[in-house]
Amino acid sequence: MAVELKTIQHLCELSKLNYDEAGLEKVMGEMGDIIDLMDTIKSFDLTYDDTKDNNSISLQEVREDIAQPSFPTEKLLANAENTGSCYVVPKVVE
Amino acid sequence: MDITRAKIRDLRKALDSKEISAAELCGEYFRNIEAGDGKVQSFITVTKEKALEMAANAQKRIDSGDVSPLTGIPLAIKDNICTDGVKTTCASKMLENFIPPYDATVIEKLNAEGYVLLGKTSMDEFAMGGSTQTSAFAKTKNPYDLERVPGGSSGGSAAAVSASFAPAALGSDTGGSIRQPASFCGVTGIKPTYGRVSRYGLVAFASSLDQIGPICSDARDCAIMLNAICAHDPHDATSARQPVPDFTEKLGQSVSGMKIAMPKEFYSDDIDDEVKSHVMNAAKVLESQGAQLVECSIPGLKYAIPAYYLIACAEAASNLSRFDGIKYGFRGEGRTFEELIRDSRSKGFGEEVKRRILLGNYALSSGYYDAYYKKALALKQQIIKEYNDVFDKADVILTPTAPTPAYKIGVQDNDPVKMYLADICTVTVNIASLPGISTTCGYTAEGMPVGMSVIGRRFDEQTILQCADAFEQTFAPTAPKF
Repeated sequence: MAVELKTIQHLCELSKLNYDEAGLEKVMGEMGDIIDLMDTIKSFDLTYDDTKDNNSISLQEVREDIAQPSFPTEKLLANAENTGSCYVVPKVVE
Repeated sequence: MDITRAKIRDLRKALDSKEISAAELCGEYFRNIEAGDGKVQSFITVTKEKALEMAANAQKRIDSGDVSPLTGIPLAIKDNICTDGVKTTCASKMLENFIPPYDATVIEKLNAEGYVLLGKTSMDEFAMGGSTQTSAFAKTKNPYDLERVPGGSSGGSAAAVSASFAPAALGSDTGGSIRQPASFCGVTGIKPTYGRVSRYGLVAFASSLDQIGPICSDARDCAIMLNAICAHDPHDATSARQPVPDFTEKLGQSVSGMKIAMPKEFYSDDIDDEVKSHVMNAAKVLESQGAQLVECSIPGLKYAIPAYYLIACAEAASNLSRFDGIKYGFRGEGRTFEELIRDSRSKGFGEEVKRRILLGNYALSSGYYDAYYKKALALKQQIIKEYNDVFDKADVILTPTAPTPAYKIGVQDNDPVKMYLADICTVTVNIASLPGISTTCGYTAEGMPVGMSVIGRRFDEQTILQCADAFEQTFAPTAPKF
C-alpha cells in the first residue's frame, strides 16, 4: 500500500521530524511496505478486553509517596550545555 | 589454560585461591580487548582506569574474606544501562556525550557484589534492530565470521563474551535482543520474566516489553548473574514482588519426566533447514535424558510480528519524545522552539529509530488507533492465552532462537520488513512476559552457531536454566577464531 504524502507529513508533524525531499520519498516507500506488514493484523478477528491485562500478576505496585533524596544539582547540570548554576537554553526557548 | 575462557565460577575459585588477583584478571581481559576489539568492535567505551580502581577495591574485599559471587569479576554492560559517571550513549548521536548522574538498579546491585566494569558495549541504536549495524559508533562484527552480523540489539555484549573480552555481560531484551545475539555469537543469554529485574536506569525503548538479562558462556553462569541482579525495586513500579529463588538450585538435576512442548509453527518452512535440524537434534538429546516431547500449536504466531511492532513502536514513540535537545542530548538549530526540536531529533536519531517513531505515531493517531494499536493489544491477550494453554500440558517450550544463523553484513540493511520478520522466533516471549533462554545447539556447515530457545512459565527461570544446562552438559562448544 502506498502511503500518501499528506499522511507522512502528518506523521512527521506528530513525531517532530524533518526529511528533505529525497528522504521523504524514501521513507514513504519504506513506510508503505511496513504498513502492509502491519495490515496483516486486520484479518485477526478479536476485540481487546482491558479487564484481562496482566493476567492475574500485579505489576503496578507503586511505592509510598514519600520524598526521596534527589540528585546533586551539579551532577544533573553536567549534561546540559554551557551551565553555570542553571540550564542554559537557546534564545528561542527563553 | 587461557583464564579469559574460564567460567565465572572458575574465576571465583581462581580469585579466592589467590591464583590470580582481581587487577591481573582485569588486565587479561583488557589485553584481549586491545588485541581483538579493533576487529570485532564490541565496545563503545572501555573503562580501563575505572576498572583498575574497582579491581583494587574488590581485591581488598577478597583479602578480607568479604566475598560475593561476583567480587572481582570483570563484566561488560550494554550501553543503554545507566552507569554513574560513565558515558551511556544508547549507540545514538542523540546521547553521544550523555553521562548519567546515577546508576541503574542492576548496576547498584553489581556494585554491591564488587564487580569490575570493563566497559560499555555497542548495540543497535536505542536497542532498535537485530544486527548492531544501526549503532552510530561501533558496528559490531560476529567473532565467528567478521563479515557477518553479531545479531542485536545486544550484539556488542554477545560478541564481547563470545570473543573472550568479558566472561559475562548485561544486555536488554525487548523482542529478542539478548537471545538472538547470544544465538548468533555462540553464547548463552537469558531474558528473565518481565518484572523479575528492575528496569530503573535502563533507557526505555518499549516499557511493557523491555527486560535486562545476562549473556554468559553457559546457563550456570547465567544463573549466578541472575542471583545478583534480580529483586523487587521500589524505583520500578513494574518490578514484581515475587520471591527470588536461588537460580542455581535446579542446575544439574535430571530432565527426566520434564515435558517439552514444540509448537509446530516454530518449525515451519520459514525456518532454515540447518537451524531446524540442530534444534530437533537437541530435542532428541533431551528426550534421551528422559524428557517427554509434546506436540502443540501457537496459532497466534502468524500475527506476532505486526502485534509486536505496533505495541513496541507505539511505546517507543512516546518514550523517545523526551529527546528534544533542550535539557540534554544532541542539540540542533532553529529560529523557533518547534524548529529547534525538529532539527535536534532529525539530526540526532538514526534512520531506523525515526521509522519506528513514525510507525508508533501512525498506530496511535486518530483514525488508526482501534485498527492497529487496540488490535495488537487483543493479539497480546490471545498469545498469552495460547502460551497458558501450552503450559497446561508442558513444563517448557523448545524453539529455534532465530529463523537463520548470523547473516552477512549488509544483507538486510535496506529492507526494514525483512529485518522485522527475522524476529519471529523471539517476540512472542516478550509479548507474553515469559522467561526465555538461548543456548548453542550446533554449528552450520559454514561454522556459524545455531541457538535454541527454552521458554518457561512466568517466574520459572529455574526450570529453563535446568533444561538448557542439561543440554549444555552434553554439548562441546567451539570457540571462535578471529
